Amino acid sequence: MGKFFNKDRVGGLLLLAFCVTYALLSQDIRLLPIQARAAFNARTMPEIFAVLGVGLSLLVIVFPSSREPISLRQFALGKCALFLILMSAYGFTVRPLGFLLSTSLFLMIGFAMLGERNVLKLVAVAVPIVVLFWLLMTQGLDVFIEPLPAVLRD
Amino acid sequence: MLDGILIGLTTALSLQNLAFVMIGCLVGTFIGMLPGLGPMSAIALMIPIASTLDPAAGIILMAAVYYGAIFGGSTSSILINAPGVASTVATSFDGYPMAKSGKAGKALAIAAYSSFSGGVIAAIFLLLAAPYLASVSLAFQSTDYFALMVLGLVAVAAFAGSGGLVKALLMTVVGLMLSTVGTDQTQGVPRFTLGMLDLIDGISFLLLVMATFALSEALLAIMRTKGGDTDASRKQERDATRELGSMAVSKEEVREMVPVIGRSSVLGFIIGVLPGAGATIASFLAYGTEQRLAGAKKGKLFGKGSVRGLSAPETANNAAATGSFVPLLTLGIPGSGTTAIMLGALIGYGIQPGPRLYLDAPDVFWSVIVSMWIGNIVLLILNLPLIPYIARVLAIPSRFLLPLILFFSLIGVYFVSFNTFDIQLMVIFAVAAVTLRILDFPMAPMILGFILGGMMEENLRRALLINDNSWSFLWERPLTLSILVIAALVLIVPIVLPMLRKKKTEMQGD
Repeated sequence: MGKFFNKDRVGGLLLLAFCVTYALLSQDIRLLPIQARAAFNARTMPEIFAVLGVGLSLLVIVFPSSREPISLRQFALGKCALFLILMSAYGFTVRPLGFLLSTSLFLMIGFAMLGERNVLKLVAVAVPIVVLFWLLMTQGLDVFIEPLPAVLRD
Repeated sequence: MLDGILIGLTTALSLQNLAFVMIGCLVGTFIGMLPGLGPMSAIALMIPIASTLDPAAGIILMAAVYYGAIFGGSTSSILINAPGVASTVATSFDGYPMAKSGKAGKALAIAAYSSFSGGVIAAIFLLLAAPYLASVSLAFQSTDYFALMVLGLVAVAAFAGSGGLVKALLMTVVGLMLSTVGTDQTQGVPRFTLGMLDLIDGISFLLLVMATFALSEALLAIMRTKGGDTDASRKQERDATRELGSMAVSKEEVREMVPVIGRSSVLGFIIGVLPGAGATIASFLAYGTEQRLAGAKKGKLFGKGSVRGLSAPETANNAAATGSFVPLLTLGIPGSGTTAIMLGALIGYGIQPGPRLYLDAPDVFWSVIVSMWIGNIVLLILNLPLIPYIARVLAIPSRFLLPLILFFSLIGVYFVSFNTFDIQLMVIFAVAAVTLRILDFPMAPMILGFILGGMMEENLRRALLINDNSWSFLWERPLTLSILVIAALVLIVPIVLPMLRKKKTEMQGD
């Protein structure tokens, strides 16, 4: 079983699921009766791509080009998951907390997660970068982003 | 043509644009030097800044970042044996042994002179070829463009690597699928938006590029940090900070380099022009060719610090990078992942690359070509002396560098849209990209599919309209048919050739 699920097959299966979902959703594209009769409408290309995608996924699954097994042991998956959560949290906090605070926190937590334990270093590296970047964007490139948390504005 | 060169010189030599070339080369070298981050990530990271500039300046900046990143990649190959991208792998074969023997400065100088010569010679070829090809391709119709796009997509997939043709084709189709998300351009119908208003305008090209390259690269590097600072990373730090030694190149070495540069420039340019082939194939081909031409005595030095072995791939990859601009500027078809990103940026400016670019936006067309010379000169006179200092970036601990790359990727996209939904979408795409990259599925064909998808659909729709809804144009128009036949050959030959070779070996074995 382990040998069957090699890198190509697992990738092929994942993409097959994606292509099938895409194919099903392509049928939800609403067309006016006049559009539906046209030789080329909003569904034409999605349907062609769906057929190609499903066909190619099946080819990858049936005729894998390499039978290399998947080995995740060398990867720090937990750390990667934590960074994904951190990035998502950054997306949710950048507006309410303001750019300076949310970005400084993002960077400091990121540095700490990768092994930096010296709090002084965390602050000394993150804060100047964030402030300089904010100044560069707002003063240099005229791109304004709210620097302060919502409670401190006005 | 002279008028064009003058337009290009005036635009590229303006103080502002000259500054962008210098900044671009420096930033590109800096980013390209970071292991894992190649020209694609470097250009993607620059798009948010370039989008605030006028088109000529923006493209000049991105082109400068491109050469800078290739140069930076070579530097990390030579100094720490960690090629940033595949196109500089061949550079490490002889560059690293040379550096290990205390001649790091010389190796960097040889790489810089070779890159410079390859880039400059190829830019001359580009100057001669591009206007001619552009004028020829003015006769192209929608049907031909559709066929050309098919050829471009197939070619990129076909050159994706041995045994990976079907996977690359599948990724191309995935890119095409993603390009259909959003409102349909012709009928105004929403497609695959899942009822979300944020997807009505489709998926941002910048978002996809950042998530699949910069973000996924940084996440993969984070995943590889299992166990904290390793011996390898400490060795990398030591290698990066060691003495570089003299940067002087002897007369004898120059004599050895000259013919290699000549041959590799031509080879690199031709390979670069072919859609999909790109700098990696060019550098390996040039390395192999020179090894064969070197003879028994000199050939033995390859892999042990040969001047020829270092000069050939460095010349060829830069010449190929320049060559890849030919299909982009003349046909509007990107020949590589990097030029695909540049195409996306040009479209963002409202500029449609292709034969009409030469007529409609001559300042962009010519200033890109002229800036290639300027960029290469800047790399030689500015970056080479600065290398000992820029190389210190390789000594920055990854625990600081990786979160910074994540931050620049996220904020680069956010600063363009100011929509936090984009950050969440990036996270989703990053998960998909990391998964697929672990499973050895290539990303560049997907980006190319994504960028060409919309144009392909539009050209096919137009072709059908012109042909009264008949698909017969595919075989009735000779030019369209010829291009499609070439596309079919590009697809079939890599499958059939190994089979024939295998059969031949079996027959010889019998």
